[in-house]
Amino acid sequence: MANTTIDTPLDTPATDSKAGRNFIARFFPWAVLIVLAAMVIAPIFSLVAGAFSLSRLPNEFALDNIGFDNFYAVWIEQRIDKVIWNTTIYVIGATVFGITTAAVLAWLVERSDMPGKTWIYAGVPLGIAVPGILHAIAWVLLLSPRSGFINRAWMNFTGERIPLFDIYTMGGLIFAEGLRLVPVAFLMLVPLMRSMDPSLEEAAAVSGASPIRATRRVTLALLLPGVLAISIFQAITAIENFEVPGILGMPVNLHVFSTRVFNLIDNIGTIPAFGQANAAAIFYLAIALVISFFYLRLVRHSERYSIITGKGYTPRQVRLGRWRKPALAISLFFLFVTIVLPFLVLLYVSLLNYLRPPSWDAIMSFTLKNYETVFNQPRVAKTLMNTIWVTLMTATSVTIVSFVIAYIIVRTRFAGRYALDMLSFLPHSIPGIVLGLALFWLFMQFDQWTGASTFGSIYALVLGFTILFLSYAVRAMSVAMIQVHPDLEDAAKLSGAPPWRIALRIFGPLLMPTLVGIWIYVAMLSVRFISLPLILSQGGSNEVLGVMIWSLWDNGNISSVGAIGIMLMSFMFALALGLRMFGFSGQKGGAL
Amino acid sequence: MIRIDDLHVRFNSDKGTVHAVRGVNVNVAAGDFYTLLGPSGCGKTTTLRCLAGLERPTGGRITIGNAVVHDTERGLTVPTHKRDIGMVFQSYAIWPHLTVFENVAFPLREVKPKISEDKIKERVTKALELVQLSGYESRPAPFLSGGQQQRLALARAIVREASVVLFDEPLSNLDAKLRAETRLELRNLVKRLGMTALYVTHDQTEALTMADRVAVMREGEIVQEASPVEIYKRPNSRFVASFIGQCNFAEGTVRAPVNGSGRGQLETEWGPLQFTTPAEAGAGDGVTIAVRPENVRLVDKGEDSQAEGEVIETVFLGESVECRVRVGNGDLVARVHPGQPVKVGDRMGVAIRPEDVALLSG
Repeated sequence: MANTTIDTPLDTPATDSKAGRNFIARFFPWAVLIVLAAMVIAPIFSLVAGAFSLSRLPNEFALDNIGFDNFYAVWIEQRIDKVIWNTTIYVIGATVFGITTAAVLAWLVERSDMPGKTWIYAGVPLGIAVPGILHAIAWVLLLSPRSGFINRAWMNFTGERIPLFDIYTMGGLIFAEGLRLVPVAFLMLVPLMRSMDPSLEEAAAVSGASPIRATRRVTLALLLPGVLAISIFQAITAIENFEVPGILGMPVNLHVFSTRVFNLIDNIGTIPAFGQANAAAIFYLAIALVISFFYLRLVRHSERYSIITGKGYTPRQVRLGRWRKPALAISLFFLFVTIVLPFLVLLYVSLLNYLRPPSWDAIMSFTLKNYETVFNQPRVAKTLMNTIWVTLMTATSVTIVSFVIAYIIVRTRFAGRYALDMLSFLPHSIPGIVLGLALFWLFMQFDQWTGASTFGSIYALVLGFTILFLSYAVRAMSVAMIQVHPDLEDAAKLSGAPPWRIALRIFGPLLMPTLVGIWIYVAMLSVRFISLPLILSQGGSNEVLGVMIWSLWDNGNISSVGAIGIMLMSFMFALALGLRMFGFSGQKGGAL
Repeated sequence: MIRIDDLHVRFNSDKGTVHAVRGVNVNVAAGDFYTLLGPSGCGKTTTLRCLAGLERPTGGRITIGNAVVHDTERGLTVPTHKRDIGMVFQSYAIWPHLTVFENVAFPLREVKPKISEDKIKERVTKALELVQLSGYESRPAPFLSGGQQQRLALARAIVREASVVLFDEPLSNLDAKLRAETRLELRNLVKRLGMTALYVTHDQTEALTMADRVAVMREGEIVQEASPVEIYKRPNSRFVASFIGQCNFAEGTVRAPVNGSGRGQLETEWGPLQFTTPAEAGAGDGVTIAVRPENVRLVDKGEDSQAEGEVIETVFLGESVECRVRVGNGDLVARVHPGQPVKVGDRMGVAIRPEDVALLSG
């Protein structure tokens, strides 16, 4: 847009408004850049400042009371090195487990002749509809050492005194988080496997390489960079995740970074150590940034590995033979475990009077009492409204902002578009807990100076979510925009359409599936994300469903968790179906 | 060197069974350049892929050199990597994660017993020299132009010095000028190395200029197999005649078969014609005849012409002028030298030499 300084004939009466428009066209991108920079940098700045603050509370921050004590305390007293070690094991374990599972499923769907592929293909991504907190809670109900249904059944059946599997362990953490990574990893791996030209493997065979050698030297070697990039992407997701370690690790003091930072400000029986939390968060953020940097480096050089596909492309499938049925059985079992089982478990507890293992008696005692209780609480109605408002506002603002940013990056020669690109990617590496903490400081200072009450409002959540989900949305939007050929836009320009009309009449309709897809996906993210609202929630005024589930679970109110969880999951499945039906038409891997 | 007996391939697709190859027989002598020519979907690529072992035949027998590599009756199939072949793919299938050198060295590294590094280097260098890619050894393969990638694919196919090299439309992704240059280079290289080549294409010029023998395929069957000259001059069917070059067709009746003087007599919609090919058709039989446009001469009226017609259209092509002439009930296309003054509306005599008249069986 900066280059639209086309000379206008001087004798036209519209010269003034044209000049005004040119002015806006020139400075609008700068305004966007400045706003985005403020959105990303201001919270981080207050986070860093807070890390040096030695005052007890954020709003007591003073320049004469600063020092390095927090870092010292975190490193020496809080043994953050242990947390780093735990986080490393957890992230590597979950990533390896998740990617391996996703790769097997993607391979079966793309490259084998497994029956019922379309069902698996449609089913796996539905896993994103199960919020992480409910996923973790379901596993606790099934596999907690003493009362977990599976462990109880095992102990009753075999007479053993030791549970089959304890979910409150590092192994449990890796297992539960690994499963959570599968849907998105699957969506990223499928196009990768699809773009492999089979003639590359055939050329190896014709060159005398045995099938095993061909797989190793060609197939795996070619897939490696892509799989590595996807793995790092998933590792960032795992490192940021709070819900799973929060439910499974925190109760037994098995801490990773996200739970440790949260624990420092929210620990029953101890005074919140805000400054130390910030110091820990800075370590946390630094690690996430380093990993993101590697990811960017890897992706940037990916064109070298872009796989050439010729015209003679014939998708060929590996014949599984007698493994066809077992492969299908394993895939269906995966769908059952990740999607059906959590739903069934929560449905079951939501219908019980009190928690007990499944039995005929338990089923006979089913009651809707919990649903009645939940619906009759005014707090729930308020929370529901908050959730809906936050979701609608976040999804809409992210869609609009990402459209504007992507347009400037892709379609203009704006001098600062690389800065814009970098700034919009940066939030991807800010963990939700860290951003929550940073915004907490920012809002406290802001309210202190202005007397406003931004902290504790739902707008605080909307702003936080918008920053968090922007990087995903800008990337998806840019990819879609690049695919709209510039000629289409130029043709509209030659037909006399001004830029805003082009955006409305050409880009809008052509990008509609992407816009809808981003809107729904962001809506899903804001419903299931709880780390940020957990820090920014202040009582009922801006409590959302995820936070309510967290506190109900904390209080041991399992039946209510079940009832609200079922509502939440039904809502998420509806969104997921909407995403499949209306979003990202054609590019099915769009919900990356 | 290559022998294919009664090859059948059936695919199971969504729309039911597709009978892609229906009883193909091919016999290629050692050192020959053999081309399978046909429109897309005629089964030529499937035949080639069966030979490479990339497709599994439903029936038939394939022999390469002295080794039977497939025999459905005996349930015998040699896997691709144990066949003595090299192959150039339509998409080139250059491995993007390897350098030019490593792409060519790949087949050598699979040879058992192991070849020493020095030997590999020597052979790769020689192969790259042959395709004029010396100096590109360390370049990542995707950083080559289309023509260079094509030559790299060729170097990889010949480096193993296999006795048979297969080509699957290797020139179809090149632009016209490059294609014309590469055709002869490729043939000369294969001939120089003394390899036996099986070449699949849908481009008639490639087939005519490169091959020693051409087999035209249609709907899974070979409809005619002959040398390029013969197949051009004496197509045995309307399909072959029109697939290779342009052709005029006419219905006619044999009045007298070829007799002692070497001439036969025909009555056609263009008027009476003579022919020299001994044909099975006897007097009174209906036949289809084919005449190439460049063999139709437009002459002054009366001067040894068999018929007379009116020029109704001329198209200037640069090296020649194409004239549509109405003769009797039918149209005829003649290709004449651009120096010859022909105008629309002229009445001209049409002369066709007896040896240029091809009698088609179907």
